[in-house]
Amino acid sequence: MIRSLLSIFRESTNSFEGQKDDENIVLLLRRHPFTIYIRIGFYVLAFLVPIVAGVMFYSYLSVHNWFDTFFFVSSIWYLGLWLAVFHSLTLYTLNTVLITDRRIIDSDQHGLFNRETSELHSNRIQDVSTHTNGMIETFLQFGDVTVQTAASEKQFVFHQVPRPDKVKDVIMQMTASKHTGVKAVVQ
Amino acid sequence: MPLLEIIFNVLVIGLLFVYWAVAFIILYHLTRFGVGVQPKRFAAIFMLGSIILFTVTIILFMKIDINLLISQ
Repeated sequence: MIRSLLSIFRESTNSFEGQKDDENIVLLLRRHPFTIYIRIGFYVLAFLVPIVAGVMFYSYLSVHNWFDTFFFVSSIWYLGLWLAVFHSLTLYTLNTVLITDRRIIDSDQHGLFNRETSELHSNRIQDVSTHTNGMIETFLQFGDVTVQTAASEKQFVFHQVPRPDKVKDVIMQMTASKHTGVKAVVQ
Repeated sequence: MPLLEIIFNVLVIGLLFVYWAVAFIILYHLTRFGVGVQPKRFAAIFMLGSIILFTVTIILFMKIDINLLISQ
């Protein structure tokens, strides 16, 4: 029983709400991890604040015997920081692009209670283009993927996804298989 | 128990209650809307860390003597 419980942390069927019975996920995309590392870096700096404050005001705290209060306030600080880190990680991990063999589902989590979901069926895809801008995106191989639909104004843009060229190839393979009736093999 | 001590205790309990309310919302979102392994791992790490930090905070809270602060 414990093994089956722990298995959810090692493997997953990548199932999602609204999935059809014979629908298979081809690709699950999130933004490149670099985008969250920057934010985590600021939180690491915030982690150092009580330590620095403790060192700076050590003599003052010892004179007034306020160490217990200082440690308690520091623990409250770290609780808030823990919450802030996982708030950011939650928004990062819930921002997904799901490419199935039938459609593309773009789920944007702007806040905990602010979620936007867009769906695009593969037979409405006209063009797919990628855009990699700057040295960091080039070296780390991430960028934007733009999917143009049959409706002239509607565009789906997937921001800062890893290996956008591969994503473009997957979408084009999926679209081609829909038109020809031959099942696409994703390499 | 002096009034200031009561107010301090109520504030701390209120703060911790708000923390767990927000923590519940984060855990709910990760487990309900998360796709794949990553959200589940984040939820487990977050839960474990919250319990540890909360326990440490409670222990430190019990050691505080508010009268010492007031008398200063």
